[in-house]
Amino acid sequence: MINDIYAVYLRELIRLWRQKVRLVTTIMMPLLWLGVIGSAFNKAFQMPFGGDFLSFLTPGILVMTMVFTSTVSGITTVFDREFGFLKEMLVAPIKRESILIGKMLGGVTQSMLQGVLIVSLAILMGVQFKGIAAIPGMILTMLLVSIAFVSFGLALASKMTSMEGFQMVMSFLIQPMIFLSGAFYPTKMLPTWLKVGVRLNPLTYGVDAMRYFAIGFHEFNVAMDLIILTALSVVLILIGGHLFRKS
Amino acid sequence: MKAIEIKNLVKEFDGIKAVDAISLEIEYGEIFALLGPNGAGKTTTISILATLLKPTSGKARVNGYDVVKQAAKVRHSIGIVFQDPSLDDRLTARENLEIHGRLYHMKRDERKKRIKEVLKMVELEGRANSLVKTFSGGMRRRLEIARGLMHKPRILFLDEPTLGLDPQTRRHIWDYIEKLRREGVTVLLTTHYMEEADHLADRIAIIDKGKVVALGSPSELKDSIGGDIIKIKCNDENKMIELLSSNGFDAMMVDEEVIIKARKAEKEIPKIFMLAKEIEIKSIMYKEPSLEDVFIHYTGKAYREEGMDEKEAIKMKFRRMRR
Repeated sequence: MINDIYAVYLRELIRLWRQKVRLVTTIMMPLLWLGVIGSAFNKAFQMPFGGDFLSFLTPGILVMTMVFTSTVSGITTVFDREFGFLKEMLVAPIKRESILIGKMLGGVTQSMLQGVLIVSLAILMGVQFKGIAAIPGMILTMLLVSIAFVSFGLALASKMTSMEGFQMVMSFLIQPMIFLSGAFYPTKMLPTWLKVGVRLNPLTYGVDAMRYFAIGFHEFNVAMDLIILTALSVVLILIGGHLFRKS
Repeated sequence: MKAIEIKNLVKEFDGIKAVDAISLEIEYGEIFALLGPNGAGKTTTISILATLLKPTSGKARVNGYDVVKQAAKVRHSIGIVFQDPSLDDRLTARENLEIHGRLYHMKRDERKKRIKEVLKMVELEGRANSLVKTFSGGMRRRLEIARGLMHKPRILFLDEPTLGLDPQTRRHIWDYIEKLRREGVTVLLTTHYMEEADHLADRIAIIDKGKVVALGSPSELKDSIGGDIIKIKCNDENKMIELLSSNGFDAMMVDEEVIIKARKAEKEIPKIFMLAKEIEIKSIMYKEPSLEDVFIHYTGKAYREEGMDEKEAIKMKFRRMRR
């Protein structure tokens, strides 16, 4: 089983390596957010915890980018279906679960690499993280976010047959989720009716946990953040796994 | 034991029988062709044998294993080249084979050795480290055949192996399939090209609407419709047919030609000249029956290779584009 998963994962790694330029190009958007928006508003905003806006924004942008990357990595299964490689794996004497797990690991790897790249850039821009102590918590949160949204992407990919469907999901689900997650501003500033959306949005807790581990600021209970994130991952893995097996 | 045993296999999609009680036995070492027009049920049959689809009813055994109950063992026994391209074109030829070897639990040394062997067999050893993206349609097909053979399966399925390839490349692919015969691999291929089945297969099952309508070697099938075909052009076809029919010939008119089935054409032609002194014969020719004649004989309809609907035509075009 481990060897089967590795075979699937190895292919994902090779593909990732071949597309390494894309890792750099997809960094452009978060770079603009941090470099332009972050720097521009840095002086203008008085943050509630006393820190600067750039440091506040960085964990949010980190989560945003990883959510995008993870979800999009689910696309590879649609590609596989369209271009036939999935069939090659389906007739091989390996379990469906091995294919699923191998693909998930591939997506998580890509998303984690992206995360590390953004953190490195942020450090170069002068963002003050909590030092070495920030690392374990940030990695944990990054992993949970990646796993949850790669599974989400896989679940979508199992149901969808075209790339257009992905655009829909990105515009109507993922983007609103990011805007309502407190990635760009403290959620306290929102009117009450929008706060409901914030509390119902699982991403809110991902951003909150990330921000706590990265710079020490948080709006919710961090233990609760992590429990919600873990529950979300488990549920999405199960749904993704179920839909993938069925398709 | 047979390489493949199929008994009363049925596959329904929404109440329509794509495979309708097919029974076949295929021997080890045989090259066996399923021949029929698009939509006859060939690919569905292969998909069931490859454990990708479950049959609605009936049984099938591949290499002695039941395709439903012993799917994993079946998968180890077979190699398959799909109708649609299934290589990862961002990987090199070698990487595609390497991943395949791993998926089939081959040991490291074994993989290395076998990659060399199969690439040599399809004459791609020079391109081992090129990305598949850069390969032509024919090269991709060859690599897919190499991949299908990578784990030394006893049985290889080829689903329309030359679909969308130009005639020259098709000949080339045929040569490789011929080579497999010498290596003792059992090959089950589907095709809707008459000449492909005729050229390659030891035995052919002609399939139409999910049923086997005829089974045998190419020459058996051709003999089964009763000898040769004589075609005559003359100035009065009706009179010719009347004359021939009243003298015990099996004659009919197709496209302003008189078509006569005869056991031994070379002996019958002089008799026809004797009988038809009054009629001006413009040309006369005879040929051994083709598989096309066999198809017409058993199904009562003309065989059209391009007999596909619009949707299929678009799919084909798309397929060609990708090759």
